[in-house]
Amino acid sequence: MMRHAADVPAGSGAPSPNGLASNANAGLSMRGVTAGYYSHDLVLNNVSLNARPGKVTVLLGPNGSGKSTALRVLYGLLRPRSGQILLDGREITTVPPQRRLALGMALLPQGRSVFPELTVQENLEIGGWLLGRDRRRLAAALEAVYARYPLLKEWRQKQAGSLSGGQQRLVEIGRMMVADPRVILIDEPSVGLAPVIVDQVYEEIARLKEEQRTILLVDQNVRAAVALADYIYTLEYGRNNLEGERGAFEDRLEALIKSWLRF
Amino acid sequence: MLTTISLSLLVQALINGLLLGLVYTLISLGLSLTLGIMGVVNVAHSTLIMLGSYLALELLQRLGLDPIISAVIAVPVFFLIGVLLERLLISRVARTSQTTGLLVLFGVLVVIEGAAILRWTTDTQVLSVSYTNASLTLAGIAIAVPRLIAAAIALVLVWLLDTFLRSTLYGKAIRAMAQNRDAARISGIDTDRLSLLVFGLATATAGVGGVVLAMIFPFDPQDHYRWLAWAFLVVVIGGLGSIRNTLLAGLLIGLIETVSSVLFPFQYVYFIVYLLLVVALLVRGQGLAGSQSRAL
Repeated sequence: MMRHAADVPAGSGAPSPNGLASNANAGLSMRGVTAGYYSHDLVLNNVSLNARPGKVTVLLGPNGSGKSTALRVLYGLLRPRSGQILLDGREITTVPPQRRLALGMALLPQGRSVFPELTVQENLEIGGWLLGRDRRRLAAALEAVYARYPLLKEWRQKQAGSLSGGQQRLVEIGRMMVADPRVILIDEPSVGLAPVIVDQVYEEIARLKEEQRTILLVDQNVRAAVALADYIYTLEYGRNNLEGERGAFEDRLEALIKSWLRF
Repeated sequence: MLTTISLSLLVQALINGLLLGLVYTLISLGLSLTLGIMGVVNVAHSTLIMLGSYLALELLQRLGLDPIISAVIAVPVFFLIGVLLERLLISRVARTSQTTGLLVLFGVLVVIEGAAILRWTTDTQVLSVSYTNASLTLAGIAIAVPRLIAAAIALVLVWLLDTFLRSTLYGKAIRAMAQNRDAARISGIDTDRLSLLVFGLATATAGVGGVVLAMIFPFDPQDHYRWLAWAFLVVVIGGLGSIRNTLLAGLLIGLIETVSSVLFPFQYVYFIVYLLLVVALLVRGQGLAGSQSRAL
């Protein structure tokens, strides 16, 4: 079932009507978040979202609708002007990004984010920064990542900046997985990648889903994202627009994409 | 006869150039670190160098300490000064804009210079120790002992810093922060704390740089601008973020200075070095802070 944000009674205080009121505290959620870089130009206006535990939640919307900003706010890179961020019911609104990893969260940012002048191995070591003083745990975590992504082991001595875009994406995913996060925020995973690589990236996200990790995916690649989704939100002009289970969206995809092309 | 003299002069100039170049590398490293990693143009850098020289003077006059020992003492003293500067000033203005930071650090320069004049007057000082005028002569080539010691101290510090940045997890985190600050933060790195460490290290190299400069040059509270220009030149030529490139640039400046002083009258040396700064800035079109990048 799909609902329009206008159907939600205003000021009800509940995160958002996802039909799981009993479970409203679990997972990662934002409640009534207003945020922006300038006070006269708010990117998010009273937005509420909930990424349920072990599910893939997809956030869709046309360019400039505030999707990436929502991820930045959720990860603490941008502080909201009002509203709350909750992880399993605990408020984490003001926890800085460098402390989110320790809470079991991780963010895969949009575009290239490897450390280009460090080797692949060094990039992964940075991913294990929190284990840093415990050499044995760091080594074990790196081995786990190498076992999971054998290609990374082959490239371990290469400078990350010398790899292709798709290879760098794998390094970024590997670096994120060193900390073995429970809640993963992913921003536009396929931007700038060759189609073959894009498929591999979505296969990897599917694997993360199978592993029961909580995933919040922001994507312009609507079809691929919806195929993975359990629950979908759409944003328009920085406000909640539609939301619902995947089934409710699949028939409406064409119409939705067309409506966004008007923007 | 004439050719042998000029040849040995040239060899002597080359050796002196390399020794000076190591010292120039040391006094430039801090500037390169703060600019390359934190994006802070620390124009007060040279006043910290000058304070290092006066630390050596005070320790020598009051306690009779050899400048070699003062160089060791300067490391923790100036590390602490750097940490305080970062915490009290830089961290508050760095987030606003680079121009604001520049103005604040210019203020720091004025304050330190003024305080130094009040404390030590504008008289020129020299560090006089037993080996100040000693020199080693090898195959007709004389090398001043203080230069040799200064260069050795510089080399040790440059090597230590390079090893730290390359081989330790903290060093890698600092390099990661320089390459992509936001990606470092989402990997769990507390970039504010690392900035403290970076500024502390940068200031420590300035302090030790001041000590070793005082071993080979006279100094006063106002002649530090020369070292600021030299350090900027090394940073512009060597680029940001690589200690090895900074070393190459430092050696190059040292060589150009000594070799041109053999070939041309003394007053042309500054002209040549500053001309080099202009050319380097023109060639590196993106200017000083060209290597900043953001992923998020």
